[in-house]
Amino acid sequence: MTSTIQSGRRTVLKQFISASTLAMVAASGLLLPQRVLAHWPNDAFGADTVEDVLLALMGQADEIKNSDVTFSVGKPAKLVTNGQSVTVEVASRLANIERVAVLVDNNPNPLVMSFDLTGSVMMPLKSRIKIVEGESQVIAVIRADGKLYKTTRNLRVYAGGNP
Amino acid sequence: MSMLHQDRLRATLHAEHTEVRVLLIHPMTSGRSVNKVLDASPLHFIQDIHCWRNDETMLTVKCGPATAENPYFSFRLVGGELGDKIKVRWVDNLGEKGAVQALVK
Repeated sequence: MTSTIQSGRRTVLKQFISASTLAMVAASGLLLPQRVLAHWPNDAFGADTVEDVLLALMGQADEIKNSDVTFSVGKPAKLVTNGQSVTVEVASRLANIERVAVLVDNNPNPLVMSFDLTGSVMMPLKSRIKIVEGESQVIAVIRADGKLYKTTRNLRVYAGGNP
Repeated sequence: MSMLHQDRLRATLHAEHTEVRVLLIHPMTSGRSVNKVLDASPLHFIQDIHCWRNDETMLTVKCGPATAENPYFSFRLVGGELGDKIKVRWVDNLGEKGAVQALVK
């Protein structure tokens, strides 16, 4: 009788110890698949939805759909045969732009890149991104004076880019 | 394989701005694509890009793996003079680093 109680207690103790060790290892980040630099916003780039990205990257702010942001994707726009390299150009007449983000809603992780601007940088910003096959929305979000200005473009990609 | 081996930077002076164009040579693989012999590519991409004009920080770009291969950026800096030194440095997720600089023409 005593021995069964004893052994039961051992198992519980062992389980508790292994569980707590695992939790510590997980918390210390040793299980992460790759080395992550501290200054790179891991939560924003790892997020699965556009809303999560914006919350992680831009914080809480009012979203405004605004014609002050002009934004072009692809040549020709709306139809892209190669999703490996799609030209994106973001321009705006807004003042005091702090941050510009480019997102693709159907990519596995929507956030593609984010620019942190100082006062000496002028639009347009131009770059090339990868987009998955199928219909996607490319989204440009500008944070200026604590407000978010969001513009979207729909386009169809015929050969995906493995983003 | 690309013919390009070196990062390139070109900065040209215009009436009211300096146009900067940067091409970085990097595979930018997301770990989701496969090559011709069906090996999965590793996750290898540039995370951080910084740009300076005469040692003053101008622009910081954070990239994810969905940035295209051999990332290209172009942007404008307010004002500027001939001979300004434009410098760009990058670091990727495996800790590899690169730097490229040019004078404004």
